[in-house]
Amino acid sequence: MADKLPSEFDVVVIGTGLPESIVAAACSRSGQSVLHVDSRSYYGGNWASFSFSGLLSWIKEYQEESDGDEWAAWQELVLEAEEGIALRKKDQTIQHVEVICYASQDSDEHVEEVGAVQKNPAFVTSASSNDPPDSTGTACSDTSELTAPLSEPETSQEVPDVDATLGNENHVGDADCSESPLEQEKAENVPVGEAVVDVPKKNRITYSQIVKEGRRFNIDLTSKLLYSRGLLTDLLIKSSVSRYAEFKNVTRILGYREGNVLQVPCSRADVFNSKKLTMVEKRMLMKFLTFCLDYEQKPEDYKVYEECPFSEYLKTQKLTPSLQHFVLHSIAMTSEGSTSTLDGLRETQNFLRCLGRYGNTPFLFPLYGQGELPQCFCRMCAVFGGTYCLSHAVQCLVVDKESGKCKAIIDHFGQRISAKYFIVEDSYLTEKTCSNVAYRQISRAVLITDRSVLKADSDQQTSILTVPPEEPGSVAVRVVEFCSSTMTCMKGTYLVHLTCPSSKKTAREDLESVVQKLFVPYAEAELENEEVEKPNLLWALYFNMRDSSGIDRDSYNDLPSNVYVCSGPDCSLGNKNAVQQHQMPVMQAFEINLRTRYSQDVQESSRTIYQGDPWLNSIIVSFSALPYLCTGVQNDSLGRSELWKVDMIWLPTRPAFLKETAPHSSQKA
Amino acid sequence: MAGGASGEPGPGAAAGSAVPETQEHLFKVLVIGELGVGKTSIIKRYVHQLFSQHYRATIGVDFALKVLNWDSKTLVRLQLWDIAGQERFGNMTRVYYKEAVGAFVVFDISRGSTFEAVLKWKNDLDSKVQLPNGIAIPTVLLANKCDQNNDSGHSPSQMDQFCKENGFTGWFETSAKDNINIDEAVRFLVENILANHKNFPNEDDVDKIKLDQDTLRAESKSQCC
Repeated sequence: MADKLPSEFDVVVIGTGLPESIVAAACSRSGQSVLHVDSRSYYGGNWASFSFSGLLSWIKEYQEESDGDEWAAWQELVLEAEEGIALRKKDQTIQHVEVICYASQDSDEHVEEVGAVQKNPAFVTSASSNDPPDSTGTACSDTSELTAPLSEPETSQEVPDVDATLGNENHVGDADCSESPLEQEKAENVPVGEAVVDVPKKNRITYSQIVKEGRRFNIDLTSKLLYSRGLLTDLLIKSSVSRYAEFKNVTRILGYREGNVLQVPCSRADVFNSKKLTMVEKRMLMKFLTFCLDYEQKPEDYKVYEECPFSEYLKTQKLTPSLQHFVLHSIAMTSEGSTSTLDGLRETQNFLRCLGRYGNTPFLFPLYGQGELPQCFCRMCAVFGGTYCLSHAVQCLVVDKESGKCKAIIDHFGQRISAKYFIVEDSYLTEKTCSNVAYRQISRAVLITDRSVLKADSDQQTSILTVPPEEPGSVAVRVVEFCSSTMTCMKGTYLVHLTCPSSKKTAREDLESVVQKLFVPYAEAELENEEVEKPNLLWALYFNMRDSSGIDRDSYNDLPSNVYVCSGPDCSLGNKNAVQQHQMPVMQAFEINLRTRYSQDVQESSRTIYQGDPWLNSIIVSFSALPYLCTGVQNDSLGRSELWKVDMIWLPTRPAFLKETAPHSSQKA
Repeated sequence: MAGGASGEPGPGAAAGSAVPETQEHLFKVLVIGELGVGKTSIIKRYVHQLFSQHYRATIGVDFALKVLNWDSKTLVRLQLWDIAGQERFGNMTRVYYKEAVGAFVVFDISRGSTFEAVLKWKNDLDSKVQLPNGIAIPTVLLANKCDQNNDSGHSPSQMDQFCKENGFTGWFETSAKDNINIDEAVRFLVENILANHKNFPNEDDVDKIKLDQDTLRAESKSQCC
């Protein structure tokens, strides 16, 4: 249906991850014509969320052999006085994908996700026939054939090392996994496949149920939360993009100590209601937290310890060991040893300040998964005239030899599209451009389980849990558990995300020990007593994702000055990194310069403030000035163009009852 | 708090129990179809009673709002969501589809190719949004520009059959230009939405948080821990 794209835009944005989408929305709102493309068929890149079948297709995508890293044909399309910077043909940011299905697979081999029209249900229905030859398992569990050690330990790390094991995994006799601590011997005897599962136990969730209810899942590739007073929350509110999404508050902060999962009291109410704490502990904790809220006011209380590790400082604070543990790991969310007292206090304060804004914990998340957020910004961009094309790859950037500036892109149809500015997500750049860039890796696991890690009165809890490192020097693992009312998983299941910076070779090596601490594989549990404390593991996915955050622009080779790079998701819990990139085009030389000018200009209320590049100015206005624009105080003094008046038009069309019937508006009484 | 059962807090609202029970509903309705079939014209005609030959992509507006005094006890606020002018390559964000309770799929009766795309839109719609009970949202097919020559070559009985086979609630020949059948089509769709609504009332999740300016302002007054 697509008619041809226009051949000229102000800005071309390549990649639909969160940072790129924020930039696209900013450009579009400030009156620039924006072309926003993604080579993938979905929004969000590594920030996307998938239904279950969507995730299976995604996994399969990374199993397929790469058909060449670069495009071939673009050279012919580049003119005499130009040169091209090739872009990557196939994404290389995901590695070591491993899938393990623990739930029993019943006889019905031809299960399809209800209503999965657009995706690739073939993969689901006949997993075994689609399995690549190097996969270690098949959907039917003929155990004798499963033992061949096919995932070689020496597999090159450059190649996505995919190991999808649908069906009941069995590592017995498998050399490189023989120490696999998920003891699977028992599983071997559990009938799966077409065998005798005629008597499914009640409430047991099978693989085919997961597939059938696949639409209920919105599985995030990147697990993050929003701080209720964080940059992203503010940006969503001030840009009105928040109208497109709904949020919920994380309901529990959990801690892990001495093999037990415990709820960490953090708000005043929590502390007083806690049954786990003694009166003395309550008083100690309240006193300490109250101090942290305004720690700057009492420098004498911490000055001496400023550079010491936060953990050492906590020992001096009349806190019992368990309280110290929770403050360190679950509130400040810092690790032993490596965090200074000052940073620890700052993190604790940040945590406490975010409490109570929307609920009892500092964290928010969007319903239907994180993947909503880039789409919200994309919608905003489109509403303001941005052009969207998914499944639209770009072969190369065309650079004018004389000026050294990028002047156009050549897309996969060979069409040349010119623009003034180009925003490119890191993963689109080739080896050649990134040869000097040192990337880190993130280890991720996605689990589907049958109950929460900590039982509570309500089964609809969303929790964040930090599992401290086993030995000093290794990293803590962040666990976020979603219940079904978050619209990210089917009823009766929980969706659990594990995240940590990679330290071992694969995500599974990094995370499996934590998974074993918290969960029991489904098959194993079935043989044991019904009263198993730990949740059953139904399905697990491990993968590594490249962390391209915090890379200095100069590390990229030969980047034209009007090409800006957005990074993929980083490992942290919040979205600070993603949001700060909206200032990216004005980073480097411009940023400091214009920012100082901006603050002066606001004071002077001058109209002729930005004499530099008009586009950069508009970005500055659109974001730095948002607080002013939104309060409607300084509109004119900023020389706001007519475009901004749209805000005014919007207001009356917004149905009154979409606004919160403000619980705070009790002043009438 | 169930949807919008709290009526408009009119001047007499303080009088308490004497307030008549008016039911207020907010319905999000999508208007989809190929480029140039008249989606925006239909919305403009319906909401603003305007028609213009000069088509301009709508900038900066998510939806048009029409308030219907359905009957003495029911007020319906209808949000008509146009596809943002440039999401026209068919890559709609989920934001657009989310929580819609009804849809119009529009084609241009004078261009047969736009009719061929109708099913593609319908499939896309059904795959991305459904009612809480899992069934497809009521969808009405609009054969627009009926003031012009019919190029689709379908008789009314064929159209009935087509709708039946493909899950459309019904179809109308419309003209935004001559204002034909548009009110009727909307009325028909709203009837269906209301019927669904009665059978499966919205279960409103009270824990949902809507971030907006008000929260920001109201809350900055009282800092709490």
